[in-house]
Amino acid sequence: MKVNKLAWRNLWRRKRRTLITAFSIAFGVLLAVTFTGTGDYAYTNMIDASANMGLGHVTVEPRGYNETPSLDKRLQHADDTRARLLHLPGVSNAYVRILGQAMFASAAKNVGGVFLGIDPAAESGTHNLLLRSLVEGELFPAGRGHGAVVGSKLAEKLNLSLGRKLVYTTSDANGDIVSEIARVSGIFRTGADEADGSMVLLPIDAVRDTLNYAPHEASLVAVIVDDQRRAETLTQAIAAQVGNPQREVLPWQRTQPEIAGVVAMDRSGNYISQLLVGLLVAAGILNTLLMSVLERTREFGVMMALGMAPRTLFRLVITESLWLAVLGLLLGVIITVPWFLYLVYVGIDFSAAIGQDYSAGGVLVDPVLRIRLYRESALAILAGVFTLTLLSGLYPAWRAARVPPVQSLKAL
Amino acid sequence: MRSALHRFGVLCALGSCLCGGAAVAQPEDGQAERATQILREVDDLWRGSSSHARVAMQVKTEHYTRNMKMEAWSKGKEETLVRIVAPLKEKGTATLKSGNNIFTYLPRTDRTIRLTSGMMLGSWMGSHFTNDDLVKESRREEDYDAYISFEGERDGRQLLEFTLLPKADAAVVWGKLTLTVLAGSYIPLEEIYYDEDMQVARTITFSDVKPLGGRERPAVLHVVPADKPDEYTELVYESLQLDIQLSDAMFSLSSLRRR
Amino acid sequence: MNLLSLALRNVMRNWHRTLVTTLAMAFAGIIMILFAALMEGLMQASERNAVAMNLGDIQIHAPGYRDDPDLYTRIEQPAALLESLRAAGFRASARLYGFGLAASGSTSAGVQLRGIDPRAEAGVTQVHRHLLQGRWLDSGDRDGVVVGRKLARTLGVVTGDEVVIVSQASDGSIADALFRVRGVLKSVGEGVDRAGFYLLDTAFRDLMVLPQGAHEIAVLRADRDTDLDAATAEVAALATGYETLDWRALQPVIARILELADAQLVFMLLVVYVAVGMVVLNAMLMSVFERIHEFGVMKAIGVTPWQITALVFMETLVQVSVACLLALGLGWWSARYFQLNGIDLSGIASAASIGGVALDPVWYARITPDALLLPVGFLLLIALLAVIYPAVKAAVIRPVAALHYR
Repeated sequence: MKVNKLAWRNLWRRKRRTLITAFSIAFGVLLAVTFTGTGDYAYTNMIDASANMGLGHVTVEPRGYNETPSLDKRLQHADDTRARLLHLPGVSNAYVRILGQAMFASAAKNVGGVFLGIDPAAESGTHNLLLRSLVEGELFPAGRGHGAVVGSKLAEKLNLSLGRKLVYTTSDANGDIVSEIARVSGIFRTGADEADGSMVLLPIDAVRDTLNYAPHEASLVAVIVDDQRRAETLTQAIAAQVGNPQREVLPWQRTQPEIAGVVAMDRSGNYISQLLVGLLVAAGILNTLLMSVLERTREFGVMMALGMAPRTLFRLVITESLWLAVLGLLLGVIITVPWFLYLVYVGIDFSAAIGQDYSAGGVLVDPVLRIRLYRESALAILAGVFTLTLLSGLYPAWRAARVPPVQSLKAL
Repeated sequence: MRSALHRFGVLCALGSCLCGGAAVAQPEDGQAERATQILREVDDLWRGSSSHARVAMQVKTEHYTRNMKMEAWSKGKEETLVRIVAPLKEKGTATLKSGNNIFTYLPRTDRTIRLTSGMMLGSWMGSHFTNDDLVKESRREEDYDAYISFEGERDGRQLLEFTLLPKADAAVVWGKLTLTVLAGSYIPLEEIYYDEDMQVARTITFSDVKPLGGRERPAVLHVVPADKPDEYTELVYESLQLDIQLSDAMFSLSSLRRR
Repeated sequence: MNLLSLALRNVMRNWHRTLVTTLAMAFAGIIMILFAALMEGLMQASERNAVAMNLGDIQIHAPGYRDDPDLYTRIEQPAALLESLRAAGFRASARLYGFGLAASGSTSAGVQLRGIDPRAEAGVTQVHRHLLQGRWLDSGDRDGVVVGRKLARTLGVVTGDEVVIVSQASDGSIADALFRVRGVLKSVGEGVDRAGFYLLDTAFRDLMVLPQGAHEIAVLRADRDTDLDAATAEVAALATGYETLDWRALQPVIARILELADAQLVFMLLVVYVAVGMVVLNAMLMSVFERIHEFGVMKAIGVTPWQITALVFMETLVQVSVACLLALGLGWWSARYFQLNGIDLSGIASAASIGGVALDPVWYARITPDALLLPVGFLLLIALLAVIYPAVKAAVIRPVAALHYR
């Protein structure tokens, strides 16, 4: 207790220096929150957007489908599976879907693309980015109708507009070639060329008829989870629930490796940046503490001569660094909260810096820098700042404890 | 006409497609029934349980002109085999249409390939027909409703014009088809494909009526895509036999490879 | 009084403090240089990545080819054009594109045939280094092909297997030929992964009966630091009658994404500068205020405020110069290490791609004059700015107050 009080008092002997050091810690906190928070925000966005393009955060699919997707691989009783998964805690929703490649033709032209058979009664824009990006028309009604929601670029290529015919040709459950008609009921534009130029949503019942699927067969069940970070844990729970060796339950990292790769690379870049800034802050703390120890050499000499154990001196300096950390964190919270709130509610718009016609913002990258902080990220930052401060205090504390009493007194 | 014309998709426009009792539609019921009746007669004229034909094909496009000779066999509506006889480079190349599937045998690499759905809309043998045309034509009667849209004299000839409207759920890209035949003999003269805006998309003209397979039939079939009026594909029948004896083995993958 | 020697003596006398202050500044400088080099590397890598697998810096097409990639829309005299491009110092590679069906056993898939000259292509793109298995095309091996990763999986082929290609040749005839898979590519972007089928340009010409012409010429600047717009204009002047576009115009979405990422990197760099500023400010404040007693005594014995200010600045200059030299040396050394060795992220990012463009999972630093000199300049500037306040304070302080100064 006495050491505590002494340490606190020592800090305030050099007000300006202490405040500046505390402020540099605070600034470190601010940066860590900004870097981590923008990462958390951007990755969550990217992962959710990708999951909402069709495969979900977790996908239940026939074994081998992920490696070589084809329409002869299919799940039986997909609807039962879905119903069972809906009750799992952490599962936000699940969708039964048929995903396959097809040639799409109008009288004008034909192009290759991808169709996604969905149940219009179950789906909405909430977990379906394509539906959320509807710019014309509407989703087809439930049932065996011949509706289709097509990407804007595809519509352009095939010269399609609302109400127009679209013939899709693909291979059915037996590998035979089948073709079917659909009428455009809606057009979506996500801003991602790949989706807009090749994707078509079709009513799942009509697709089943076309593909000669049994009523409850589908390519996959796409599971959307409440929190993308729990996808891998939930994969286990879902696999246990599915419990069928013919089926594979895969998290988004496996089904959408490109996104996983981008996130992983960006995250490591982010961590390296944070590490470097952390080192800078640590250098600042070390500098401060070392200075203060150096200038108190005589003082420490006297204290030791008066019978204070080197260990107590060590503790004293460590406690000083601890108080510095507390002070820095406090200051950090004070300056970070308004900045954080600003980034949460307003954000920094980078689109001005990169030209106005930024159309590809929707899916992959948001031109507005926004922030979102997960609890564990916040805790990690707290822990990081404390550890860093304590570590920087080690050497000065060791120096202080090592002061030879006689020599330092001689300098008096 | 499950006949020779069949395997060239479009050409068969005439017969088979229009047959079948399903052809109901448009104006009044009486009219529609009559259309069905006549189309059945047209179809009967051209129907054959099997066929064997020798055909010359000329394709002219902006980029190439291509002359080929081929031999074709058909049995029923679903089975067709076409084998190229000339030019030498492609001799032996064969196409087998069996149901909805198309297989191609390539003698140079000695491989048989089943066309994927992605290739269905590609050109067949470099012509203005797609592989899909080969498949779709046999579905014609299920896909369209027909009625007589014109009857009487036009250009000094007594004609019958049928309009075929795709059924709502038919997997057909066209807006409509019209087929003009000579009244009485039901010899086809012209078939026109329209897109959904009812603009002409492609025109097929039939000409050179002469005895073929025991009857008067047009021996030349001329296809012009509307967006490229300078291009065409022309088929000339050199011989045609109908209702001949053909074994099922003829339309198997193993016979596809035989030269 | 010789200011410099006095300053030196002071600096040497308090060598402990000097060491701490100088090292703190030098460390800040090293971090700045390393960070700038890493960021520079990342920015260049993203641009290089965007162009490395396929795009090249600049592409030449016949007018209309990009809207409707047709076998017949060709650059008619590619050889002459290639020659003039090379004479102008560019690297250039002509490519042939076509579509076909690839079949192996009972499986088949639609493919994009990519006929290339391996030697020319290696000068422009890095795709030959991205093999998952097997080896790249060899101009002596006419049957050899290299296929995309997903395509290989769809067809169920590995190195050594046979693949048949069927297509329609330019004369309308059936094009079919037997090839042997020599290599399978790593992930290099969705299009190539799913349908990329690389073969020799000579094999492509035979297969498709296409004796001359090319569909695309990809051009790479020999020196990546030259201006892209100027290079594009130069290429366009050589390729009159054709469409010449740089990669930003060819892939505007990716260009935008990269610009956005660059803007964020610059933002981070600024942030690091601010952090460094704070460290340096604190170091300077401490080193002066700690000696405020000393300055009080100097004032008392008649040293003028100007002389004190000059002394403080000179001492600072001495320390920061040493720090700058240290930062330059060690910063260069550490950045150099990462320039040569890179940070390999492939363990955690096996297949990264944005908008269909694959990213290189190895992150290299890149030392540019800016990455070295800007941090050092900033260090110098911020130290001299930071010392103004304490120097003035020391200069004007009353000797009595100095004794009690806290």
